Amino acid sequence: MLSITALSRSYGGVFAVRDVSLVVGQGELRGIIGPNGAGKSTLMNLISGQTQPLRGSIHFDGARLERIPTHRRARLGIAIVFQGARLFRGMTVLENVMVGATSITQSGAFAAALRLPAQRREEHHIRERAVAALARVGLSDWADRPADSLPLGQQRRVQVARALAGAPKLLLLDEPASGLRAAERRDLSDLIAQLHGEGMTIVLIEHDVAMVMKLATRIAVLDLGQVIADGTPEEVRSNQRVIDAYLGTEVSRAHS
Amino acid sequence: MNPSMKRAIPTAVVALIAILIPLFLNDKTVYVQTVLSAVVVVGLSLFMGYAGQASLGQGAFVAVGALTVAVSTVSFNVPPLIALIAAPVTSAGLAYVLGLPLLRLRGHYLAFGTLAVLLLVGALMGGVPILGGGAGIVGIPSLGIGSLVVTGQLFFAYLALAVLAVTMVVSRNVISSRFGRGVRAVAGSESAAASSGVPVLRTKLAVFALAGGCAGLVGGITAFFIPYVSAESFPPSMSFTYVIMAVIGGLGTLWGGVVGAVVVSVLVQALNTISNIPGTPPIVGLILQYAAYAIILILFLLYMPRGLWPTVGDAVKRRLAKRVKRSQTDYSDQHA
Repeated sequence: MLSITALSRSYGGVFAVRDVSLVVGQGELRGIIGPNGAGKSTLMNLISGQTQPLRGSIHFDGARLERIPTHRRARLGIAIVFQGARLFRGMTVLENVMVGATSITQSGAFAAALRLPAQRREEHHIRERAVAALARVGLSDWADRPADSLPLGQQRRVQVARALAGAPKLLLLDEPASGLRAAERRDLSDLIAQLHGEGMTIVLIEHDVAMVMKLATRIAVLDLGQVIADGTPEEVRSNQRVIDAYLGTEVSRAHS
Repeated sequence: MNPSMKRAIPTAVVALIAILIPLFLNDKTVYVQTVLSAVVVVGLSLFMGYAGQASLGQGAFVAVGALTVAVSTVSFNVPPLIALIAAPVTSAGLAYVLGLPLLRLRGHYLAFGTLAVLLLVGALMGGVPILGGGAGIVGIPSLGIGSLVVTGQLFFAYLALAVLAVTMVVSRNVISSRFGRGVRAVAGSESAAASSGVPVLRTKLAVFALAGGCAGLVGGITAFFIPYVSAESFPPSMSFTYVIMAVIGGLGTLWGGVVGAVVVSVLVQALNTISNIPGTPPIVGLILQYAAYAIILILFLLYMPRGLWPTVGDAVKRRLAKRVKRSQTDYSDQHA
């Protein structure tokens, strides 16, 4: 479904991502871990289109992504949950989630100005999708609050709901657990497992190695912009290069 | 009475007052200009408030709308009604084309870019003969179709009011739509908006063109109303006035634009009255106006940064909520 080949991106001569090749199959929950500065977020931005690669290619569902702008990648079915909150301030939780349905709807400013029947039907459809997505992440009661007034854990969930409202084929999660409390982490972890169980293809970038080990079907380990290991959680856990990169600490803790 | 009808009452009252006012005015010039500037400011509020961009150049699009009418009717004998329709189309088109490079800029840079457009249009109007260079353009025909010609200030007062009403309705519809949510999303986070499928640059362009169209229509109507178009009748300072109106009224609200336009117009009118007292040097009016702009802008940014409409609106809402709560408590006391 997603196939990355020899992808590179440098900032001021320093490679953030270097010759990364990666395949994510349909329905897979692909974990990507690595120490700080390993290039995880850069890789995510390359897939979602926030940054352009220096070299290499990204194929998604048979289409080449590198030259396609971000909003059209969203239309192809790629959704992302950012590490930072990145909610739309001044809009309610529900409105934020409704924006997520932009990628699967059509109507423009002209139809809206005249309130054409097709536009009103679509508007109804968008609202229904957003309400369902909010229920999905357990935020129905918060729908009419200003999105930026929510605590961080909830804001992350709003982002997940926003992504789901667009019925994505591929869900990118960029450190979704960062800054969350233990209980929030568990809830989020359950939600990700559920989505995966329903057949959603997910790429999960995380600092929380234990969480990735538990959820992912396959894990790639990045270090200094390169893939140093790629395999099942068991394979990765016993890989010597991975243990070295992490100085043995986090991975072995995740093992226990 | 159902809730949506109840909500419509204040709007209906405001509309009624707005309809009645011109009947009691001998000279309706200020009224027409106030209502027309509200149209520009509502458009600007879409661009600045909802889309989170900046424009110091709305006056340029007003001037271009006026020029479209003046040049096409006087130099090319275009029928007045066609010229009036062409005014917003030309301004919106120009905004779109200029927006292609300009809207890649952000914040202060975008403000300076739009300012440059304003100065450029002013310079062209002052220097190019066909655009009225120096003398301005006179002899703009009356608005009408064929031999049916309308004149008189009352017509323009109601035309302006109708245009404002349509602008408000269209803007409200647009804001609460898929496109409008995209516009507001762009103001919140461009990257998250794009990842949700919002074409960021195209959305900004569309709003810039819409705001430019509002300004162009106002310019077109003004050209028929005055009826004279020159660089002096569309001074660059009007652009700043629009921004101040938008900020004082409350960016990101439609009614804020209207409130801002009315408040600033009344203020400018009051200052004009002072400076017209016999014996006052003519420069005093301009100095007073600029000083007043500076003072109210500073005061608002310090004490009411959200602007009049949202601040007062929230205060009223809180008061009402409190009253509802109190009446509920009274009720439960009685039935305890």
